[in-house]
Amino acid sequence: MSGAASLNGVGRRTSLDPVARAHTHPADRFFYPLAALTAVTFVAEIFFVFLRAPVEVRMGIVQKIFYFHVPSAYAMYLGATACFAGSVAYLVRPTDASDALARAGAEAAIVFGAIVLTTGPLWGAKAWGTFWTWDPRLTTALLSVLIYVAYAVLRAFAGDGSAERKFSAALGVLGAANLPIIHFSVQKWGGQHPMVITGKGGGLQHPDMKLALVLGFFAFTMLAVLLVWARTRVELARSRLLRAEDDAIDLGLDTRTEA
Amino acid sequence: MKDGDKTGAAPPTTDDRATTFQAVQGGQEHYSGETLLVSAYAVLWVVVLAWVAFIWRKQGDMNTRLFDLERVLDKAAAEKTAARKT
Repeated sequence: MSGAASLNGVGRRTSLDPVARAHTHPADRFFYPLAALTAVTFVAEIFFVFLRAPVEVRMGIVQKIFYFHVPSAYAMYLGATACFAGSVAYLVRPTDASDALARAGAEAAIVFGAIVLTTGPLWGAKAWGTFWTWDPRLTTALLSVLIYVAYAVLRAFAGDGSAERKFSAALGVLGAANLPIIHFSVQKWGGQHPMVITGKGGGLQHPDMKLALVLGFFAFTMLAVLLVWARTRVELARSRLLRAEDDAIDLGLDTRTEA
Repeated sequence: MKDGDKTGAAPPTTDDRATTFQAVQGGQEHYSGETLLVSAYAVLWVVVLAWVAFIWRKQGDMNTRLFDLERVLDKAAAEKTAARKT
């Protein structure tokens, strides 16, 4: 809190202030270009999905859900992987950054998992005649999202101490164990869920269909990276703020009691 | 059944009551593909924007706490300056 006197009377530091700028991460300058690239890719994705990719012969227009259902599932895997990586890093060497990454990854897994679990049944209503069936892939995907919901609830209500962070990190590591199960459930346990991207048969039979899917993967990957990045940054700032508040209380500057 | 009783004919069996359901040609679909597609696309952006709103709210909460902290620091610095003068 040594900066108290220097701040007084000088005015608050802004992002234009050289001192404040020195505290920003060098990678932060890539955020806006990545956001712009994501926006452009999404525009291209929307153009290809709705205007260029042909309507599928048997399912009709509802098949176009596929172009953002599958990339969403991929983005969910990315979020879960970020949570896993952050959790492992925190258990090895506890830092605010690794904890923030794990938390952001878990929330991304919930968000993209919710998209997967909503768009899939909307497709299923047309293709299968029912919104939900206890198919192995659907069930394991639901289970995975529930694990990350449990993680988020734990972080929201169990406090932010070292023990809670470690317990959450353990859950983040265990939650990742379900990811390969989701992936291989179709092969091992059968079920109704189709497999379009395989090495044996299936596949998209038109170049514009393939391009729409590839663009979808790019767009959702960048969106997931952007959102996890933004969320991690907020969480890191929150950790720093908590420490500053604790320091203020320890120095007797703040009359509030510690949470 | 009264006629059957009079003539002595056997009552109809379950096979006699076999019924076939046939769809109306050109009738409406149970679920409209267009509606489902638009719903799925809307859900995608609603969920993403809900998360962005959540992050925004977190940042707002941090702003408030940061403002409180700055106020406390300003007060402490002012007291220190006043103590030096006296």
